Amino acid sequence: MNTYRFLIDYFNDSPTIIQATWIVIGLFSILILGLILYLKYLRGHLRKKESITVAYEQEYEAALITYLYAGNDEEEISSEQQAIIDLLKNGAKEPFKRKILIAVLLKLKNEISGEVAESIQNLYYQTELVDYALSRLSHKKWYVIAKGIRELKQFQIKEAYNPVIIHLNHPRPEVRKEMQLYMVNLFYFEGLTFLDLLETPLSEWDQIQLLEILQKLENQNISNITSWLQSSNDSVIIFALKLAKIYNQLEAKNEIIQLLHHINKKVRLEAIDVLSYLNVLEAKEILKTDLQKRSQEEQIAVFKMIENLYENDDESFIMKYIHDDLFEIKIIALKILKRINREKFCSLKSESSDDSFLRIVNFIENN
Amino acid sequence: MGDPIIQNIIELFHYLFFIFSGSAIASYLVLAFISVIETVEYKRKNSYVNYKEIMSSDSAPSISIIAPAYTESLNIVENVRSLLSNHYVNYDVIIINDGSKDDSLEKLIEVYNLVQVDYLINEQIPTQPLRNGIYKSTNPAFEKLIIVDKENGGKADALNMGLNISNSEYVACIDVDCLLLEDSLQIMIKPFLETTDRKVIAAGGVIRIANSCVVKGGKLHDVNFPKKLIEQGQILEYIRAFLLGRMAWSRLNGLLVISGAFGLFDKKIAIKVGGYDRNTVGEDMELVVRMRAYMEEQNKIYKVAYIPDPLCWTEAPDNYKIFISQRNRWTRGTIETLRKHRKIGFNPKYRVLGLVSYPYWFFFERMAPVIEFVGILYFGILIAFNQVRWDYAFALIILAYLFTVFFSLIALITEELTYHQYKKKGTGIRLLQIAFLEPFVNHPFILYAARRGNFDYYFNKKKKWGEMTRKGMTKA
Amino acid sequence: MNGAKKIVLAEDNSMLSKLLKFKLEKEGYSLFIADNGKKTIELIEEHNPELILTDIMMPFVSGLEVISHVRNKLNLLTPIVVFSAAGQEQIVLKAFDLGATDFMSKPLSPNELVLRVKRLLS
Repeated sequence: MNTYRFLIDYFNDSPTIIQATWIVIGLFSILILGLILYLKYLRGHLRKKESITVAYEQEYEAALITYLYAGNDEEEISSEQQAIIDLLKNGAKEPFKRKILIAVLLKLKNEISGEVAESIQNLYYQTELVDYALSRLSHKKWYVIAKGIRELKQFQIKEAYNPVIIHLNHPRPEVRKEMQLYMVNLFYFEGLTFLDLLETPLSEWDQIQLLEILQKLENQNISNITSWLQSSNDSVIIFALKLAKIYNQLEAKNEIIQLLHHINKKVRLEAIDVLSYLNVLEAKEILKTDLQKRSQEEQIAVFKMIENLYENDDESFIMKYIHDDLFEIKIIALKILKRINREKFCSLKSESSDDSFLRIVNFIENN
Repeated sequence: MGDPIIQNIIELFHYLFFIFSGSAIASYLVLAFISVIETVEYKRKNSYVNYKEIMSSDSAPSISIIAPAYTESLNIVENVRSLLSNHYVNYDVIIINDGSKDDSLEKLIEVYNLVQVDYLINEQIPTQPLRNGIYKSTNPAFEKLIIVDKENGGKADALNMGLNISNSEYVACIDVDCLLLEDSLQIMIKPFLETTDRKVIAAGGVIRIANSCVVKGGKLHDVNFPKKLIEQGQILEYIRAFLLGRMAWSRLNGLLVISGAFGLFDKKIAIKVGGYDRNTVGEDMELVVRMRAYMEEQNKIYKVAYIPDPLCWTEAPDNYKIFISQRNRWTRGTIETLRKHRKIGFNPKYRVLGLVSYPYWFFFERMAPVIEFVGILYFGILIAFNQVRWDYAFALIILAYLFTVFFSLIALITEELTYHQYKKKGTGIRLLQIAFLEPFVNHPFILYAARRGNFDYYFNKKKKWGEMTRKGMTKA
Repeated sequence: MNGAKKIVLAEDNSMLSKLLKFKLEKEGYSLFIADNGKKTIELIEEHNPELILTDIMMPFVSGLEVISHVRNKLNLLTPIVVFSAAGQEQIVLKAFDLGATDFMSKPLSPNELVLRVKRLLS
């Protein structure tokens, strides 16, 4: 009791700063104690969760394999399969287990095609997992919607077209991206119609993902891309140019040539690249004339095109560039010269005394 | 002390000390808060991203991994193999053997079937010349590998050679003994490709400490919490800095530092600003500051991105000698960089870089150890003159200590909630233990190293990189 | 299972390897599974299988190195079938250069795989 009195007096007599200090010390001590307990709880909880997850994973993996091979020769569902369906349906009611189940289904579905994939798809319906995903589409939080669309895409649920397309111009780019991936994944080239209405930029990341999906399918009949080449959305133009390359759209040649004078440098660069790939010789002539007015990157791109499409007539043109300041251009010009006129190329060695130039010429000669 | 003027000056200094401490604490809390928000958002955006598509795409941009190597013979073969097994498609690995005096090159030639090749280098940045030349493999399985053997020039020089040689759009500059997880390139390139409204010039990653971790065949198999307190302390320090610091800077677009152990850069801009500076020991930080300054001067909208996922694992010093040497070097690097770019400081032309990042770095990173050291000296003087009110001092010291522990605990909890890398039973206790011990175990050495660093910077120009003897990660 | 033909399967997706193991063992083959390149080579050296199925993208020792090891170091003519994700033509070409016998792109059709295995082992 005496100590207690003493401490209280001490506290009251101290200056405010020291009083504040002791109060904060007290606060921190309590907080720290709380944090320690929370940390212990958290670790234990996470550990438990992980072991439960592994257990359910194995259960569901085994169940899935059994389901796939417990079928009758007829089309109906065997009793063994029905038991598994019921088991999984029950599990799906809990979000935690649902997540594991979906992951297990996808783990296999992504690697497999054919009847096994179809069976997994059927299972997705039979266990009513599809309903949970559909309900996510009308959720308030954007990341829930995005996850929902993604799941529907992974299980190829075409019926979800209407609730998904609503999110065409959703404010969050993540949602829009999932919608676009859904469209293209399920409807391939026809799924690209959203490009007509897209007002937001299509990032390179998005474009790559869309192109990857499109490239997986061969022999597609694609419709006209010219309208996209004239879009007011520059990223749509760039994407359309990439499509032109993949699908060899020589028909769109004229529109693409127009784009060589587009206001956006990235568009122009992409156009040069595509025209080179499509072997459009007239583009080369156009670009030769206004080369000096273009940026360095474009000049290099043009030379790469000439490297691809050179003709003997180009000799006088490229002779002007064999000593160009830009390293990349110099190299390409020399390479082309070597192929067009080997004699003249070799004579360069005696004409020059510049070491670095000679080094380059020698390298090109030997490689 | 009779003289009132001296009294006032001393009081002024006292107030300044308090203000400094107060603002340091406030800034830690603010940064921690912002970091947590940013991390939550990052996880939301990326928890369900599928990186598989970009992995197999050849329309994904080209990346060169550039790894300078000096006397790495012990592990060089395994490190290279690990780098070659990354899941990205469009990349190559450029190893720069910076004039090593050991048998690194011979080992590599043997294991990877290397032959010397002709190569035309576009020397955009001046470097030391080649020594034995450039090598590539005859085995198609190792097509992505390029080995460059050059005269010794230091890490920055080696990196610059890599920049000259690379034909890719982006360069990932790493330490050759860094273990990169197999999808790190895909994850790191993402900000460059998904940002539409500004140019991303560089991206930095989190460095995780691999001491005591089990690495089997270039893959991280087991994450273990090391036994030595010095290693544990560094892990805690890295968790604090990466999870509660850098994420905030990234959000504010004020990130000044990208670790030299793993960073991804836009090659053209890196070359444009002149590559790495050979005259500094903090070349990683200096390049980022210079690239940022360049973009500000060009009035371009840009971003330095930051990825919180644990992608890069490396070895940290496990004894105090090397630890002090490392921290000494970091101190000198910071001082050099800040001095070289002092025109940025407090300069509104450089916006966040000049008005927030630079001042923060100057006061709370560069000056902090100096101020702390001066404070300790002053305290010593006060003790000598019997001017110390011990019960007050006691209270304040306890407060400072508790704040540190509190902050460390927040960092640990954040780590559990985000990446939960230390799963094993029993590690929890050790993490708690180090949270309480770190101020005693590592901090004094850091302070000492910083003091030496300041001294060496001003009075000892001959010090350079020092050595870090390779111990190798635990192999199974 | 004496006389059963032995197959080494290198695949790091446990679900897929379980499925393939089930299916192929039903057809009477004996399966050995590895989830990385290094273990694959160990299994090959230990069991000397009649057929090797390998994924290309594997941690550390890649599928390509496995092929190279089998053809060049072990000098075996064992048929090797590689799996690759779609869009990896470059790697597949390299695999054939190194000596692969056949390839199948993912997503795989298990029935098709069984047919090819039967053909290669007949």
